[in-house]
Amino acid sequence: STLPAVAEELLREIKKAFQDTSQVPDDLLLGLKFIFGPSAVPALDLVDQRSVTRLRSPSGRILYQVLGSSGKLYTCYSSCHFCTCPAFGFSVLQKNESLLCKHILAVYLSQALGACQELAVSEEQLTNILLAEEEEEG
Amino acid sequence: LCRGGLAERLCRLQNRERSAISFWRHQCISDDKIPSDKSGVLIVKILEIFEECTIQVAICQQLEQSPVTLSPEDAVINAEEPILKVLFTRETAAHLRSRPQDVIYIYPPWQKLLLQNSDVPVIMHTYFSQKVLISEYSEAREKTYGLTKMLIRKNIISLAQTFRLDDLDDKLHQESSDNQVPCAPQTHNKGDSKRHPLALSVVNDSLLEMVESQGAVGWREVQVRVVIQRVYCLPAREGCRSHTQGNKPLCATPVTNSDPPHVRLCLLVQDAYGMFSEVQLQSLSSTDDIEQYCRRWEGKSCCLAGMKILQRTTRGRALGLFSLIDSLWPPVVPVKVPGQSQDSERMTTNLPPPSFCYILTVQSGEIHVEVDEEEQISNLYQPPAVHGLKEILRINGCNERCSFWAQVLYRRLQTKHSVPIDQREVLLFVTDSTLQNVVPGIPKVVAVSVIASCVLSMEITEALSAGSRHVFFKDALWGNGRIICVERTVLLLQKPLLCSAAGADLSELTGPVRLDELDSTTQANSICALRGTVVGVNESTAFSWPTCNRCGNGKLELCPQDRESLYCNQCSEVVTTPVLKMQLEVFLSCPSRSQSTIKVKVWHEISVVVSALFVLLTMLLFLQTYEVQSVLGKEVGLLNCYVHSVTSHPDCVVLEEIVLL
Repeated sequence: STLPAVAEELLREIKKAFQDTSQVPDDLLLGLKFIFGPSAVPALDLVDQRSVTRLRSPSGRILYQVLGSSGKLYTCYSSCHFCTCPAFGFSVLQKNESLLCKHILAVYLSQALGACQELAVSEEQLTNILLAEEEEEG
Repeated sequence: LCRGGLAERLCRLQNRERSAISFWRHQCISDDKIPSDKSGVLIVKILEIFEECTIQVAICQQLEQSPVTLSPEDAVINAEEPILKVLFTRETAAHLRSRPQDVIYIYPPWQKLLLQNSDVPVIMHTYFSQKVLISEYSEAREKTYGLTKMLIRKNIISLAQTFRLDDLDDKLHQESSDNQVPCAPQTHNKGDSKRHPLALSVVNDSLLEMVESQGAVGWREVQVRVVIQRVYCLPAREGCRSHTQGNKPLCATPVTNSDPPHVRLCLLVQDAYGMFSEVQLQSLSSTDDIEQYCRRWEGKSCCLAGMKILQRTTRGRALGLFSLIDSLWPPVVPVKVPGQSQDSERMTTNLPPPSFCYILTVQSGEIHVEVDEEEQISNLYQPPAVHGLKEILRINGCNERCSFWAQVLYRRLQTKHSVPIDQREVLLFVTDSTLQNVVPGIPKVVAVSVIASCVLSMEITEALSAGSRHVFFKDALWGNGRIICVERTVLLLQKPLLCSAAGADLSELTGPVRLDELDSTTQANSICALRGTVVGVNESTAFSWPTCNRCGNGKLELCPQDRESLYCNQCSEVVTTPVLKMQLEVFLSCPSRSQSTIKVKVWHEISVVVSALFVLLTMLLFLQTYEVQSVLGKEVGLLNCYVHSVTSHPDCVVLEEIVLL
């Protein structure tokens, strides 16, 4: 498949450009729009608002939480592309229309731009967050 | 959308782009011919098409020149021509309706992206694309094809493939797609090894720079080199809390420690620019380590990394912290001046004292402090200035930090029952050789209050209850005529190795200690010695009771088996030789303070050989009556007493006999 490699490279270029110049050039922003379509602007908005938090437990496990525009907190996994938002379930899983939802894209962009909030949590807390998602769906 | 944010910028860019696209398309339709300007145009022939998540991927061959100029026979696929992957958005693809063998013109501005693991370049931003119709045959074919739907293969993208944004040889970040969960690096507080587990990053020498770079990319790898000026313990105010920013709590439940240690080890550090910072390290499970940490760490350099800013505090809000900082100001060696070239003429010690200080704490589970224990003491280190108590009593200022080495004579615990035990003040009566030498006007013994937030190690507490000890008081506070041990004061049993002692006397007192005699200057809550004659007895206060000779328990009970014997339930044994304690309030006439009524609660003990209850009771009664009659007129020799109160109307001093440590 081609698209993931392209998306990854684009995000890397954004990270590099930001590290070198503290800015993201216009053409890379338009590249985001080209690849990710309607998710691009909402994802950038989430980044502008510092909505992404990286949760890290002492054993090194990582989880992301994104505060959505509705005020709901969505969980994004770090080991695979997964988000608990309904758009992910619909556009990505069901219709295969998008590579990512806006929250996962926001996670990557926050990583690239150093805009992740950091939160250290205990193993128990991390487990509770993951289990809470299970209970909701169950 | 945030003003000035990335989202707003993209919105603007995309609106502009959309207008450009529709304008261009309009132009193509109306012109109905290939635009003559060929510069920057990419000419591609589609070989294969498939779809990935609404993006159409076309494997193409790049053509050198327009096939229009070639005859159909010449339009042969040349294997040498470069292969490209051209991406089209859903909308562009719908517009083009391309099929294999079609030739597309892609007008600028298009974008080329080179992937790391692939030779095939990717072409993006292909909004301005147009299919080229080579001949009438193509046109006809086009119209036919327009009616039938072409099936395009759809690639399903695996969700397991995550994006790795770092360079391949960057080991710091842990978002690998192969699900590894490495353990967090161990903390290196003991400083045994000189490993630097953080990737080689520049070691900074400015705390301010580290603080200001927080939040920027890569700030956690910044290391700062500082000198540890002081090590102390602070009481932990609460368990660790979850980190909330602004009004957005991002975690449902706050973190609570299961076992609550009550103190945190803290460092007061100073960087090469003279700036101070208080670093709060982990909680200590036992306060006994504090003497070890002081000995091993004070004066040494260390590297801080991955600090979190807890607070930026100012002089007005943290008087205690700044009184300690002031005692370390000005610096003993010239410090760097920010923003200027650091030649030695510019470095200075003539700077105003700091007005703000950052309080840092460690990120849990990360490397934070590496102390170079084997290295020499830094030049910047200012050891505590030890003075004799006589000198300290003469200090003019207020809220000055002072350090001294003294013998503790007597300890008195605050007995206010409304205050919980762990928050009670302790009063220590101390002296040293500078006070013991007879000088009129200078007291022989000084009271030092230890407030609850001054952390005392178990070692010190036990030592003080066991007997008289010499104690080093580091960074106590002098003000309003009193010495107080507050937060950041450390009491140590060993003499300091280093101290800037301008005539400091670290000798220990060998002879017997003398107290001030009771006189007209005696104040409440002090200790003194007195002598006088018994002129009266407060009979209602005469009281005797048996105590256990082993543990001193004053609440003995009747033995359950043998109701003639006494039983101590702290020792769980019968008391065969109890000690009879007697207390009595007597009125004395003291020549040193002849105008006042002196009331002293005196104590007496006698050991009783026979414990049969009958005998005991007889003895108690006898003693109580005996006491009253025989005591009057007796001379009471030098008695050590604690002064409870001194009143002027009536002129009365109430004291209690004490035993010095």
